[in-house]
Amino acid sequence: MRRTSSRVGAGAAVTAATALLLIGCTSDTADNTPEAPAGAVDTDAPVTISISDLPTTENQESRDAMLARVDAFEELYPDITVEATETVWTADTFQAMLAGGAMPTVMSVPFTEVASLIERDQVADITDYIADSEVLAHLNPAVADHALDADGNIRGIPISAYPMGLIYNRALFEQAGLDPDDPPQTWDEVREAAIAIEENTDAQGFQTMTTDNTGGWVLTTMSYAFGDTLVNEDGTANVDNEATAQALEFYRSLRWDDNAMGSNFLLNYGDANNAFAAGQVGMFVQGADQYWYAVVNLGMDPDDFGVAPLPQDSDGLGTLGGGNVAVVDPAASPEEIAAAVTWIEFFYFNRFLDEEAAVTRAESDVAAGEAVGMPEIRIVGADEYERWLGWVADYVNVPRENFELFLSTVEDVPIVDEPAPSGQEIYAALDPVVQAVLTRQDADIDQLLGDAQATVQSVLDAAE
Amino acid sequence: MALARSTDTGTVASAPATRRRMTPAVWARRGGLSTLAFGLPMVLVFALFSWWPILRSVVMSLQQTNFIVTEWVGVENFARVMADPLLGRAAWNTVQFTLWSVAIGFPTPILLAVFIAELRRTRAFASVLAYLPVIVPPVVAVLLWKNFYQPGDSGLFNTVLGWFGAGPLAWLNNGDLAIPSIIVEATWAGFGTATVIYLATLMTIRTELYEAAEIDGASILSRFWHITLPQMRGTLLIMFLLQVIGVFQLFTEPYIMTGGGPENRTVTVLMLIYRYAFVSGDYGRATALSLCLAAALAVLSAVYLWATRRWSQS
Repeated sequence: MRRTSSRVGAGAAVTAATALLLIGCTSDTADNTPEAPAGAVDTDAPVTISISDLPTTENQESRDAMLARVDAFEELYPDITVEATETVWTADTFQAMLAGGAMPTVMSVPFTEVASLIERDQVADITDYIADSEVLAHLNPAVADHALDADGNIRGIPISAYPMGLIYNRALFEQAGLDPDDPPQTWDEVREAAIAIEENTDAQGFQTMTTDNTGGWVLTTMSYAFGDTLVNEDGTANVDNEATAQALEFYRSLRWDDNAMGSNFLLNYGDANNAFAAGQVGMFVQGADQYWYAVVNLGMDPDDFGVAPLPQDSDGLGTLGGGNVAVVDPAASPEEIAAAVTWIEFFYFNRFLDEEAAVTRAESDVAAGEAVGMPEIRIVGADEYERWLGWVADYVNVPRENFELFLSTVEDVPIVDEPAPSGQEIYAALDPVVQAVLTRQDADIDQLLGDAQATVQSVLDAAE
Repeated sequence: MALARSTDTGTVASAPATRRRMTPAVWARRGGLSTLAFGLPMVLVFALFSWWPILRSVVMSLQQTNFIVTEWVGVENFARVMADPLLGRAAWNTVQFTLWSVAIGFPTPILLAVFIAELRRTRAFASVLAYLPVIVPPVVAVLLWKNFYQPGDSGLFNTVLGWFGAGPLAWLNNGDLAIPSIIVEATWAGFGTATVIYLATLMTIRTELYEAAEIDGASILSRFWHITLPQMRGTLLIMFLLQVIGVFQLFTEPYIMTGGGPENRTVTVLMLIYRYAFVSGDYGRATALSLCLAAALAVLSAVYLWATRRWSQS
């Protein structure tokens, strides 16, 4: 009897624990997204916000520069306290950070990820909070709508932007007898340059990333350049299209006919960039902001870095855009969101409106070894951007004269949005396609695209 | 079984009588409080970091959550996992990893332990050497091996093959070679621990058995087969099970070395779970597949223990 009753007791305990667990979980179902309208915000109330991307102590100059700007902001807005954190965006930690309530109030997120966050409703709707912002009225329309949700609400503010382009090593071009100031402008010319580099230098002519969704990311970019998108306007999959087949055929020719793509075809972002910065690779398709990663981060000679507009086929649609978007914690209070928007305006946009702020920022960037004047898509209007360039002309430490073709055409190449919804999953479905073409000489491109079409369609169906 | 267990010891038989007289005061006087004080921290740590996450996973597998809003979706996450065309590929890859691991990784430390046990003066030194790879941090080891497997002429293994006029091989870039290549690395990184455990077991085998066998004229091979292996069976059974469970949860090596490529040939079930959680942000599906994996391992372990019960008891 006692044993039975102890079993009953244990059963009751488990039931009680499960009930408690369920009660604990049901509290999750409460929607704790702030509902208060922006008009009800008390902007005079003391508020504390946290921000991401404080440089670590390894980079003390940049860290000090950012903290100095936090001090300046707090002096200007005494009711707002800013806590700078070293948190940076990573896909691995973001969900846990959000679940644990540890997401900074303001966080910088890459373009490639922001669409997924918006789809999952994991960033705050800031539409009402920036409606009256004078600064943000000057945003470049070409990038301004990159953080809108399906209903047209604003879920983030672009703070940097770049197009995908053809990145090339100017020193290797010279060694191969090519003119680094006249980079390839068609895919045939890219192929010829790759062969020349392969034949006349120790480096490999061309490379492409293939793992961690980067293969799909670049293939999507190439498909745009060859003239088609991967998702139709009606939301159906369009992977099995002529443009993507042409892009894969380009890879196939370089790999198997020209032998100009090296021997390793399992490359992620780090692998490809390390090889390029080390002078082992002539060209690859990557973001124009790669200057920072290759030169500032990996120590490549600034004069060796070249960037050209992404070559466009006769019916090319444009190029994929990248960059960063400042987003706000979805659990932030209306006062915190208002303060967050004020910080974003101050930190990211003040330099375009105030000469002193521009010069101070450029001065500290140069002192910290950062790049000033990088090849990019302007995030503000053309007038504001040109004016800023004039203000900081003495501090520009990027050899912009090397990017003449890119800079003179960056406004002309249309920026095409990433496939949505579930862009990252679509990229993941395309990685194996790129790998197949590069690792198997008998890979059947039509069949690979047919299979990928079905996979991507199931991804799109699941996202509905 | 039940009869055997109840008559195992007299203390068990007399337990109900003792329990009847037990009051809180008696329990406390007999050291119950100190037992509780000693046990409680461990129970709390386990509860917080093991049992709670497991329970939470069960709950989350029935939900769809963005960590802001959560809704109950029943078994929909399980249905979506089962409908994923990549699941079959990942499961088959995982089985292949396991088979290769059993073929390469299981016998290696046994043979090495037997060899080291035969050494007299240099046994300790050999043990240290065998254990050395375990000390190398896993990510460092994996990155080293990734370099060794470079598919060009300059890769370490291809250079060695070149000396013999062979190769170069594509190694990780080749769908057929990628899994065995990864298993060789995993074996190198993990055999030290298993070797030390087997060595400890070998040291407990009474030397009289070998002496008697030698007098009877048994060869080295038959001594190994008829004495060493049977004497090690308990350890072997557990180590085999642990190895299979470990390989079923393989993640770091394929994640770093191949990212699941080429053509998803090295995607494991755990990598799929990782993709669900961190690429798609779909924790419901990730926890659903985690539970399926846990269930599969539980069934596999039960079947294994049932199938080997006679050997483990004899």
